Amino acid sequence: MTPAPILEVSGVGKRFGGFVALESIDLIIARGERLGLIGPNGSGKSTLVNCLCGTLRNETGRILFDGHPLDGLIAHERTRLGLARSFQLPKPFHTLNLTDNIRVPLLYTVNARPGHRLSDEQVEARCRELLHEVGLGDKARRLPRDLTQVEMRKLELARAVATEPRLLFADEAMAGLSPSEIEEILAVLFRLNEQGITIVLIEHIMRAVMSFSTRLVVLVAGQKIADGAPQEVVRNPEVERAYLGE
Amino acid sequence: MRNGFFWIAAAVVGTAVLVLTRVFFTNEYFFFAAYVVLQYVVLSTAWNILGGYTGYTNFGTGAFFALGAYSSVVLHKMPTLLHGSFDLTIPQIPLPIMIVVGGIVSGTVGLGTGYLTLRLRGVFFAIATLALAIVVQTLIVNWDYVGGSRGIYIIRPALAPLGGGYIQYLYTLMMVLAVISVGIARTIERSRLGLGFAAIRDDELAAEAGGVPTLRLKLIATTLSGALMGMAGAPLPYYVTYLDPTSSFNLAYAVNSVAMPVIGGMTSWIGPVIGAILLGTIQQLATVTISSALNLLIVGLLLIGFVIIAPNGIVGLVQARRRARGARMQTQPQAARAA
Repeated sequence: MTPAPILEVSGVGKRFGGFVALESIDLIIARGERLGLIGPNGSGKSTLVNCLCGTLRNETGRILFDGHPLDGLIAHERTRLGLARSFQLPKPFHTLNLTDNIRVPLLYTVNARPGHRLSDEQVEARCRELLHEVGLGDKARRLPRDLTQVEMRKLELARAVATEPRLLFADEAMAGLSPSEIEEILAVLFRLNEQGITIVLIEHIMRAVMSFSTRLVVLVAGQKIADGAPQEVVRNPEVERAYLGE
Repeated sequence: MRNGFFWIAAAVVGTAVLVLTRVFFTNEYFFFAAYVVLQYVVLSTAWNILGGYTGYTNFGTGAFFALGAYSSVVLHKMPTLLHGSFDLTIPQIPLPIMIVVGGIVSGTVGLGTGYLTLRLRGVFFAIATLALAIVVQTLIVNWDYVGGSRGIYIIRPALAPLGGGYIQYLYTLMMVLAVISVGIARTIERSRLGLGFAAIRDDELAAEAGGVPTLRLKLIATTLSGALMGMAGAPLPYYVTYLDPTSSFNLAYAVNSVAMPVIGGMTSWIGPVIGAILLGTIQQLATVTISSALNLLIVGLLLIGFVIIAPNGIVGLVQARRRARGARMQTQPQAARAA
């Protein structure tokens, strides 16, 4: 018997006025998987992530996270269940130093879970540890504005990981980075996956997606057109057409 | 500094100022002026809990403030009403109770307003609070029992508690309120709640993604902020002795309670205190030496000046200077090593 999937999405649809952003998406994500989610601009990748994380409300369909229905739960409640995300454009808390940036999810998510309470010292230590893991250990007292683009992405990831998620959506964590910086972020993601976090990578950079993903899902114009092993999916004629045209 | 210690320190400073002023100043006018300054310490601290900590600009200070004042008017007239209508005799309600009731009334309105408007962001929220002020003012203008548009005279009790004149009593109460509101602001700032507020101010989506229940926190902020404003307004009828909607809903309250934290600095409890003492004192001095009409002009000019020169207020200036010094200290040893 295969273990129950961590996320089961069935028939999720979302419109903005007359525009259909997502049309009845079905998706099953297995525990521990590294899923790549690709698609041209405006194909609905971020909308799907937003619906799954509770930032947007899907009009139709059902989402089961680890067996729990997510209907009606707002974003912070989903975060507390173990669903984390990083944002496409980094959204640091710009008046708080890096430690305090990490402290927010620790105090509001980890400590908000029943039977789980870190003392002040433990929170402090965990902040240091998380920043150290992404290589920002020596900037703990700095403000986000002192960071470079790649450091900002790392902070974004560290803040998502601080919620101790079981499923992490990394929304274009590498856009605009240099090849060596992409390697750095990939290394962080691989390490998190080894620690048991299921990761969904939403990305345009195919080299990164192909080296990271064990499975690839393609969205085009709000519809899922392919789902399978990465090498097969990229050879799929429909996917080629979507990316390269007729 | 630990919170408990801060509360004690604030209480000691408040008491010391009270005792010293009561001993050294015999002129009643001093207490009239100092009352207004302290009232602004409360108002701007209250405003800052919502505006500075969570980043929601409230232009409706006048509404919360006047609601506190008018709830005192209702309570003031309560014994007469009960005696006339139900033949019930109750003693005059003491002012501290009125302050608590004013806080509850304005806090409730704050909660309601928050619930209705906090889905609005930025300038839309600010406009909604401005509208709230007009709605509440319209209600009061049409409510005859509290004087309607012609206003109402309030006769102070003949005897003031705690010795001294009635104005000294009002001044003492306002000092207590100032200490309490500053204490609350500073406690919030150093707490989990304050961190959540700051996260909301910086990025609401990211805060939500980090597990912060943003709506609940914003409701706490509007309620607390409204309640403190109402408490600041509750003694007003006894201070002015003639209360009318035009003066109690005066735009000056809204403008000042925004300007003072902006000038002092919005990210820290001390900012609104500095802003209120500075601006409040300047206004009081200008009122006696030049003219009372000049007040808002002074505020306006200072506000423009600060927004251009020091957008993070006086506190921001000090912090920037300290950081610059810290950075120099860090780079100097490296430069020395390189040489």
